[in-house]
Amino acid sequence: MDFEGQATAEKLSRIIITLFGVVGLVWGYIIQQFSQTVYILGAGFVLAALLTIPPWPMYRRKPLNWQPVRDGTESTNKESTKKGKKK
Amino acid sequence: MHSVLQRGNAILAYALSVLACLTFACFISTVFLDYRTNAGMNTVKVVVKNVPDYSAAREKNDLGFLTFDLQTNLTGLFNWNVKQLFLYLTAEYETANNKLNQIVLWDKIILRGETAVLDFKNMNTKYYFWDDGDGLRGNKNITLTLSWNIIPNAGLLPNVFAHGQHSFKFPDEYTTSRM
Repeated sequence: MDFEGQATAEKLSRIIITLFGVVGLVWGYIIQQFSQTVYILGAGFVLAALLTIPPWPMYRRKPLNWQPVRDGTESTNKESTKKGKKK
Repeated sequence: MHSVLQRGNAILAYALSVLACLTFACFISTVFLDYRTNAGMNTVKVVVKNVPDYSAAREKNDLGFLTFDLQTNLTGLFNWNVKQLFLYLTAEYETANNKLNQIVLWDKIILRGETAVLDFKNMNTKYYFWDDGDGLRGNKNITLTLSWNIIPNAGLLPNVFAHGQHSFKFPDEYTTSRM
């Protein structure tokens, strides 16, 4: 999943869950059953999970263009490994 | 948000936060409701005995017996934030020993969905009406009240007093015969 895909996925999941929550609240209030509210929210959670947890192709349209690998000189290689170890 | 686990965690956390908000909305929608309603009660047979209370000391204490009628309709009390009602019938009276005595004589649980229209005739009490002395014989003012405890999905556990009460008096003589 690329950066923009991550943003889209998060936005989408929040919209879905909030929407199902609001609809569930209204419906539960109408029929006076709070359990229905919880079930509808649960359905929203499942839908959001299916749509935004797996890295679907729609979230991978703008992959980062990485710099091509250089023919590394030894000194730069050593520095980078040192930095890596410190982290 | 770059891995499956992170996204799953974020979605679950958000869904649970929304659930908390919904529960709070459910609580707010019912917290200002008036749960009082009318209840009619009456005593049918009232006697008092003076017998040893073997469960406590062996001194003789006053023990009241009564049967009662009770009519009320609690259907309107149930909503999406009421799971059950715990009804209890309290006798309240004053004696020389205590300024205020309160004894629960009977109780009942009504789940949501069960019939909440009560019409009991000549019911026996569930619990003994013991006084801690001899304050029952000839007591002129015993007040029966019906109350209920509301068990909600979310929120407060209020004790509500019904409108309506019944006052009666105990006879001046002890009953000695077996009943």
